[in-house]
Amino acid sequence: MTRSPVGTPVRRVEGRLKVTGAARYPADHNLSDLAHGYLVLSTIGRGTVRSMNVDPVRAAPGVLAVYTPFEPPPLEPPWAQDPTAGIGYLQFPMQDKEVRYHGQVIGMVVARTFEQARDAAALLEVTYQRRTPNASFADGVPHATQGRPPVDILAAGTGSIDEALARSEVTVTATYTQHPEHHNPMEPHATTAVWQGGHLTLYCGAQAPLLRALQVAPAVGVDPARVHVVSPHVGGGFGGKVVAYPQSVLAASAARELGRPVRVVVTREQLFTVTGHRPAFSQTVSLGADRHGRLNAIKHDAVSSGSVAGPYFGDPADWSRTVYRCPNIHLGARVVPLDVPPATIMRAPNEEPGSFALESAMDELAATLGVDPLALRTANYSTTHPGTGLPWSSKHLDECYRVGADRFGWHRRAAEPGTRVDGDWLVGMGMATLVYPAARFEMAMRVAFRRDGTADVAGATADPGTGMWTVLAVVGADSLGIPIHRIRPDLGDSALASSPLVPGMLAGAGGSTGTASAAPAVRAAAESAIRALRKHAVEHDRSPFHGLSVEDVHYRDGVLHAGRATATFGELLTATGTGRIEAVEATGQGDEVTRHAFASFGACFCEVRVNRWTREPRVARMTCVVDAGTIINTATARNQIVGGIVWGVGQALLEGARVDPASGRIANANLADYPIPVNADIPPVDVHFLSYPDTVFNPLGARGIGELSTAGSAAAIVNAVYDATGIRVRDLPVTMDKLLAR
Amino acid sequence: MRPFEFAAPDSVRQALHQARDGSAYLAGGTTLVDLMKLDVMTPTLVLDLNALPLRGIRVDRHGLRLGALEPMSEVAANGLVATGYPMITKALLLSASPQLRNMATIGGNLLQRTRCGYFRDTASPCNKRAPGSGCPAIDGDNRTHAVLGTSAQCVATHASDLAVALVALDASVVIHGATGTRRMPVAELYLLPGVTPHQEHRLRPGEIIAEVVVPTLDWARRSTYVKVRDRSSFEFALTSAAVAVDLRHGVIEDVRVAAGGVGTTPWRLPAVERALRGRPMRTDVFEAAAMVASHGAKPLTHNAFKPELLRRTIVRALTSLAV
Ligand SMILES: Cc1cc2nc3c(=O)[nH]c(=O)nc-3n(C[C@H](O)[C@H](O)[C@H](O)COP(=O)(O)OP(=O)(O)OC[C@H]3O[C@@H](n4cnc5c(N)ncnc54)[C@H](O)[C@@H]3O)c2cc1C
Repeated sequence: MTRSPVGTPVRRVEGRLKVTGAARYPADHNLSDLAHGYLVLSTIGRGTVRSMNVDPVRAAPGVLAVYTPFEPPPLEPPWAQDPTAGIGYLQFPMQDKEVRYHGQVIGMVVARTFEQARDAAALLEVTYQRRTPNASFADGVPHATQGRPPVDILAAGTGSIDEALARSEVTVTATYTQHPEHHNPMEPHATTAVWQGGHLTLYCGAQAPLLRALQVAPAVGVDPARVHVVSPHVGGGFGGKVVAYPQSVLAASAARELGRPVRVVVTREQLFTVTGHRPAFSQTVSLGADRHGRLNAIKHDAVSSGSVAGPYFGDPADWSRTVYRCPNIHLGARVVPLDVPPATIMRAPNEEPGSFALESAMDELAATLGVDPLALRTANYSTTHPGTGLPWSSKHLDECYRVGADRFGWHRRAAEPGTRVDGDWLVGMGMATLVYPAARFEMAMRVAFRRDGTADVAGATADPGTGMWTVLAVVGADSLGIPIHRIRPDLGDSALASSPLVPGMLAGAGGSTGTASAAPAVRAAAESAIRALRKHAVEHDRSPFHGLSVEDVHYRDGVLHAGRATATFGELLTATGTGRIEAVEATGQGDEVTRHAFASFGACFCEVRVNRWTREPRVARMTCVVDAGTIINTATARNQIVGGIVWGVGQALLEGARVDPASGRIANANLADYPIPVNADIPPVDVHFLSYPDTVFNPLGARGIGELSTAGSAAAIVNAVYDATGIRVRDLPVTMDKLLAR
Repeated sequence: MRPFEFAAPDSVRQALHQARDGSAYLAGGTTLVDLMKLDVMTPTLVLDLNALPLRGIRVDRHGLRLGALEPMSEVAANGLVATGYPMITKALLLSASPQLRNMATIGGNLLQRTRCGYFRDTASPCNKRAPGSGCPAIDGDNRTHAVLGTSAQCVATHASDLAVALVALDASVVIHGATGTRRMPVAELYLLPGVTPHQEHRLRPGEIIAEVVVPTLDWARRSTYVKVRDRSSFEFALTSAAVAVDLRHGVIEDVRVAAGGVGTTPWRLPAVERALRGRPMRTDVFEAAAMVASHGAKPLTHNAFKPELLRRTIVRALTSLAV
């Protein structure tokens, strides 16, 4: 029998294409007659465009079109105009003369080459009627408005969360802040748009190809069925390629107007305001506990920055309903609407900030009580979902703690912070719990047996570096019992969606649902395809199994058997002269969600070194133990966990946009001034998977892992900095200037 | 980027001859091309220096001589430099990235422009880029800006690491110009911003840096360059210190101290040197001497930590030489 590849390290099936440069990304489609659009951004933070002198731009070499608020590209209103959409844009570019934030798209120059478009765009003179932008998050926090109604989960007889806190023996309260963070994937957002006979093809990086089609179609006033999104490779998304940003709709609109393909590439600097970001947050957490550290109250009030130009805000307090057993929980979400670009989801959108706040507060509580931070976590272990009381489908977090502490050497942690020195470095250890809710979306997959002995496994999902190409191959191989190299995976194409889908449905890579959604659909489609194959075998008159009953024909590892007769599916289809036998199945969440709660869990341990003289913090090593059910491909799964930790290092020590309150301009909108971790910042990371299949969740037992290690790793680092220095930093990033006090 | 003419002279004479108002020399291009793309530098003629014979790393009776067109990576990999002047090697290896160091040259490094974000953004006012337009950094985002040598017109930091080491070592540059060849200490090459922040150095228009001469200094073998920054690599200095010590029987006979990341030019610290000379090589001595490093520092909203960080950087650098 073919050995199942599930749970082994499998190389990315598309890896060779990528490392040889053969993989084609949206901006690699060099169609003939291609024109290039270059975006012009506002250089004020609030006001009105008064005039634009386009004459020198039009006269510049190669220029084909100049779009401005005075001569806008024709676009229908965006879908997010309905604020309940929760994400996206309230206005499309250039449809009015308002400037709502610094770096808003106020023009696009289309020329024969990218350089011509860029050079011509530099000639555009704009005059504005300026108004003072309201861009200071810190100033706005005291006046924040309600984002969603507060949630109070209170024990019987407790009137309010404050009452519960007042009744607690020990309380800690602190406020944690962080600046906006930016996705900045390796591949900047780009779209190449081509019209042919009323049909639009969009080559663009989309985390959900079908959703992209559904977003762009109404903007250009065509039926979604006429929009074909091609997105086989996405050079990183992290939430930032879920929404169709201006480049997609502008390329589509201009291409139709000009009657030729148009490509719009957002430059690295432009990404900061043209595409979304993670909001700024200010979170106040109060914990109430008894002397032994048993929690009695969690009060988590979060304030998120918002935008006047988009509906999205973050809800980090939500994380605190998923972690610890606690009879009284309050979760608040308020917003400060600002004259800044619309924010969006970004890897562990609520969990990243939420875990930083709660897991820092837990560390503060441990320090106040004088108990070990790990012991405090186990003392508050939840066997049911604290928010709903539903039992967890499968939870082995206790084992994560135990195994992680062991692998890491947690027992060597010093009793007092700021006491361990190794040469020029202060050494500290910190830990945090990782939790990320597990969900799956309705997803359709097609599995087809082919005459040449290979099998197609295809669906309209996406692979933004998550390893989905390989997941389809691995699960396909496992379900059909044939080697991986005989599976032909296909994804990243809206035309592969085999069932009608509704707007808002992700059907792609997002929310750590990709594998959990796709894998069961592949399994189901494979089972149906096998049934169809057996039926074909008995019904076709040139089949060696013709006339037998279906029950007598068995399929195993790519071969059909009935008594002595055997044939591979390739032989069968060759004999019957059939190209392919296929089946499509859609699977999704069922009523198990009414009986169980689902999440992936982990424990993260970290050693930080802080220079004893100049105080720059450096992460020395990390251990991460993960309980996420079946691990389908241990190689790409490890990538995800390490990648999520790299994000934690960025969040904890480096990242943050600095919005100039006077102008609304992001002072560090480039990758030199907005530091993200480089290789030298990333220590050896020890990743260990527990791999208990969660078959309540789905037949493969696989939960999501893409965001888990971003939901807590920053707190582990910040807690380790405290252990090294005795200094508690509550404002990210933790840079050396905040550690000079002692 | 604006359209421009391009020429590649094959001799210094020809280069000097072709230079004109609005021309710019191109070495590695890692500053020039970058700023041309941003529309910050707008030369009408680019003169490529790469065919000029301004190469070579050698030691003669004057000291160490570095050709202006030597890539940073070549100098960083040179054994003579590493043993004789470790602070130069370290300053180079802590600069930029390997890819950039392969392109960037010694001459270009000395004439690189500030990294001030307002200078690099043509939509912002900037007295250095557009004289008289104003300085948003003074009240704006200024965590990386200078605290020494600043003026009401400009607070931009000089970004070169190498220049800090060269200033500490009393190095000079050999300059070719229309009227002949001259030599100038690196410390004198740079101008304080004052009321003319757009004038950054004393080169006359069209002059070419031919080489850098580092005087012989035996005890520069005991030298180091410490660079402090948020991430471990590929970032400019928040503070840095180039330090050399002539240590005899535990006593600091002579010493050089210069600082980066804090000044509008590479910043030599003679007062710190005085406070160290003749004293024992001890942490309390270092700490007392470092106290004077930040005299006269003018912190801004976001860089108030720099004087303290500078003092600590100097102590750290000295401490590392004590072993
Ligand atoms: C991302 C990034 C990170 C960086 N990090 C660092 C860092 O950490 N530390 C650091 O010190 N530097 C850093 N740099 C700056 C880099 O070191 C300089 O850009 C480089 O040294 C400039 O050399 P070049 O040969 O490329 O100069 P060019 O760009 O070719 O020229 C720079 C300027 O010098 C003039 N010029 C060049 N050579 C001569 C000459 N021989 N005579 C007269 N004029 C001349 C040019 O006309 C131009 O005005 C970084 C640069 C980048 C892009």
